[in-house]
Amino acid sequence: MSGANVWTRSRERMKRLPELFAQCGPEATAYGKCVTATTSSKEELRKDLCIREFEALKTCILSAIKRNLKKKKTQ
Amino acid sequence: MSAMVYGGVSQTGSPIGGAMNVFDRNMKRKQKQWAASLEDPDKYEYLKNEVGSRVADRVYDIARTFPLALDVGCGRSHIAEHLSKVGLLFLTDVSESTLIFHVLKPDGVFIGAMVGGETLYELRCSLQLAEIEREGGFSPHVSPYTAVTDLGNILGQVGFNMLTVDIDDIHIHYPGVFEVMSDLQAMGESNCAWNRKSMLHRDTILATAAIYKEMYGCDDGSVPATFEILFMIGWKPHESQAKPARRGSANISFGDLGKINQSPSMDKPKER
Repeated sequence: MSGANVWTRSRERMKRLPELFAQCGPEATAYGKCVTATTSSKEELRKDLCIREFEALKTCILSAIKRNLKKKKTQ
Repeated sequence: MSAMVYGGVSQTGSPIGGAMNVFDRNMKRKQKQWAASLEDPDKYEYLKNEVGSRVADRVYDIARTFPLALDVGCGRSHIAEHLSKVGLLFLTDVSESTLIFHVLKPDGVFIGAMVGGETLYELRCSLQLAEIEREGGFSPHVSPYTAVTDLGNILGQVGFNMLTVDIDDIHIHYPGVFEVMSDLQAMGESNCAWNRKSMLHRDTILATAAIYKEMYGCDDGSVPATFEILFMIGWKPHESQAKPARRGSANISFGDLGKINQSPSMDKPKER
């Protein structure tokens, strides 16, 4: 496939995820712990059980993106 | 991976002729070609190289030289690099497993390697949990595996003798789940089963990354991925091969096993 298309753009975005993810360690751990707690407790995992932790993680990622954009602009 | 049987072998052990159509072979070919067109395809060949050298080890373990060998599904000749006791080596594409049997001479041997059930269980579990929490359900993202027991049945049904199947676990550490998935893609090993979902939501990927790290993460920040490799050896029947003894022909009892150490004809054990 040649040229820029939705797949190349999506792949570019995916490449940046590990770096952004690394900046959100605590939020990721909190979400991870919330989900894995269900494997040992009686509570069954269901949709949006950990939505609060996930939203916190997502917000962290989005602000990391904004931070990186600002850094690029000032460079 | 060499001798990786994609569609020719039924997953449920039913006769080879009625093989289930599990995989989209066209898609797999496209994935492999895309992977081969990457800038640095050798970077991602580490797993195949390792498995290739272990298959070559098993060739060496056999106390014979072979004038002619056929490498089915050879990739970048991961096995050939390590072989020298073979006279002539042909390298080919993946083909059906029953053909392998017919192509072998009597007393010929088939040595194969494929991935087994524990492979990527970390990825599977994390994806499953993430999908349940984010989307309310989950679908298979990793293709179905052949069970070790099925493998024995399949090879036996085709007609191979003196089967051995052994399992090697290879653990590879990655910085995170993103790298696991992109490496798998670059190896040409993306999912191509017909029942695969066409999309993986970004939220789910993010959730998977967090769960994978929490459940399996190591102290140094890396995450492990398990590749369970099943190695199989089967021989084409020949009169010279050992056959199971006739029922009732035993002249030693298992109860005598305890007396092995007391045999008077054995030498005294040397001092270590």
